[in-house]
Amino acid sequence: MTLYLLYETSSGYSLFQAGGLDEIGQNNEAVRNSVSDLNRFGKVVQLTAFLPFESALDALNQINSVSEGIMTDELRNFLELNLPKVKEGKKANNDFVHEILRGVRLHFERFIKDLKPGDLEKAQLGLGHSYSRAKVKFNVNRVDNMVI
Amino acid sequence: ASGRGGMRGGNKAVIIPHRHEGVFIAKSKDDALVTKSMVPGDSVYNEKRISVQNEDGAKVEYRVWNPFRSKLGAAIQEGIDNIWIAPGARVLYLGAASGTSVSHVSDIVGPTGVVYAVEFSQRSGRDLVNMAKKRANVIPIIEDARHPSKYRMLVGMVDVIFSDVAQPDQARILALNAAYFLKTGGHFVLSIKANCIDSTLPCRQSIR
Repeated sequence: MTLYLLYETSSGYSLFQAGGLDEIGQNNEAVRNSVSDLNRFGKVVQLTAFLPFESALDALNQINSVSEGIMTDELRNFLELNLPKVKEGKKANNDFVHEILRGVRLHFERFIKDLKPGDLEKAQLGLGHSYSRAKVKFNVNRVDNMVI
Repeated sequence: ASGRGGMRGGNKAVIIPHRHEGVFIAKSKDDALVTKSMVPGDSVYNEKRISVQNEDGAKVEYRVWNPFRSKLGAAIQEGIDNIWIAPGARVLYLGAASGTSVSHVSDIVGPTGVVYAVEFSQRSGRDLVNMAKKRANVIPIIEDARHPSKYRMLVGMVDVIFSDVAQPDQARILALNAAYFLKTGGHFVLSIKANCIDSTLPCRQSIR
C-alpha cells in the first residue's frame, strides 16, 4: 500500500509518497528513529509533486483556507492532478502519519531542490506578517479606545 | 558621553558574557542583564541601551533586559539551569504578548536563529507585529496556540519551545505544539504563574 501525504508550507503545497512502510514497521519508536536519519527517511518517503504559490497574495489566500480547514480550488486541482485514480481511497490521520509529517517538516528543505537554505524562512516571514497583519486589522470586535 | 545619567555610561560599562550563551552582563554601577541588540538605536519598550566600543573600534549596542517585565529574564536572573535558547537556535515562543521578551530572545538567537512568536490577543498582537517588522528573525503569528494546525504552514521544526500562555491547560497546549514542531530530543521551557493557579495562596503553596 502506498501512502500519500500532503504537506503545506509557506512556499507551496507538496505531496509526498511513503512506500515500503513494512520495512520500518508501525512501531512508533522505530518510525521516530528512521525519521531523524535523512538517509533512511529519504528511501521511504519521496516527493511526488510540489506546487509553489504564485504570489504572496495567493499564499495568503491559501493559508486562510488551510487554517479554517477549507479546500481551495488550487489544492483540489493539485491533488486531482497528482493522485492516482483509485476506486477506494482511505484517508488516514494517525500517530504514524503524524510522525512521518514531523520527518517531512524536519528535512523539507532537502526534498525541494530549488529551495536554498533560508528561502523557506523568508517565505514563512513574509506569510507570517501578512497573515498576522490581516488578523489584527480585520477584527470587528476590537474595542480600542486609547485614553492618553 | 556621560552626564545623561542612567546606564548611558559610554565606554564605562564593561560587558561580560553570561553563563547562558547570547546573554551578557553589563558591569557598571549596578549590574544589569543585557542582550546584544539586533537593531542598534532602537528601544522596544523604552529599555535603556548601552553602547560599547570593541577592540577593533566597532560600536556594539546592548539592551538592558528588565527582569520585572520578563519571566524569562527573571528566570535567568534567579539562576535557571538552562534556557536552551542560544545563538542560532530555532525557537517557538507561545504567548508572545507585545513582544518585549521576544525581542530579547531575538537578540539571543541572532541573525542565524528564528523565533516563531505566537500570540492570540489582537491588542498585544499589534505591538508584536510592529516589533517584528524591524527584526527579520521574528515571525509573528496571530493565532490561538491551542490550534497548532492553524499555523502549521508558518512554522518549521524547532530546537526549543518557550511557553508562557498562563492557561489552565497550558501543559496540553505545550504538548500539542511539541508534537507538531519540536525536534526529537528538543527542549521546552514552561513558565508557570503561581498567581494564576490560586491568587489567594502564597506562591510556594500554590505550586505544591
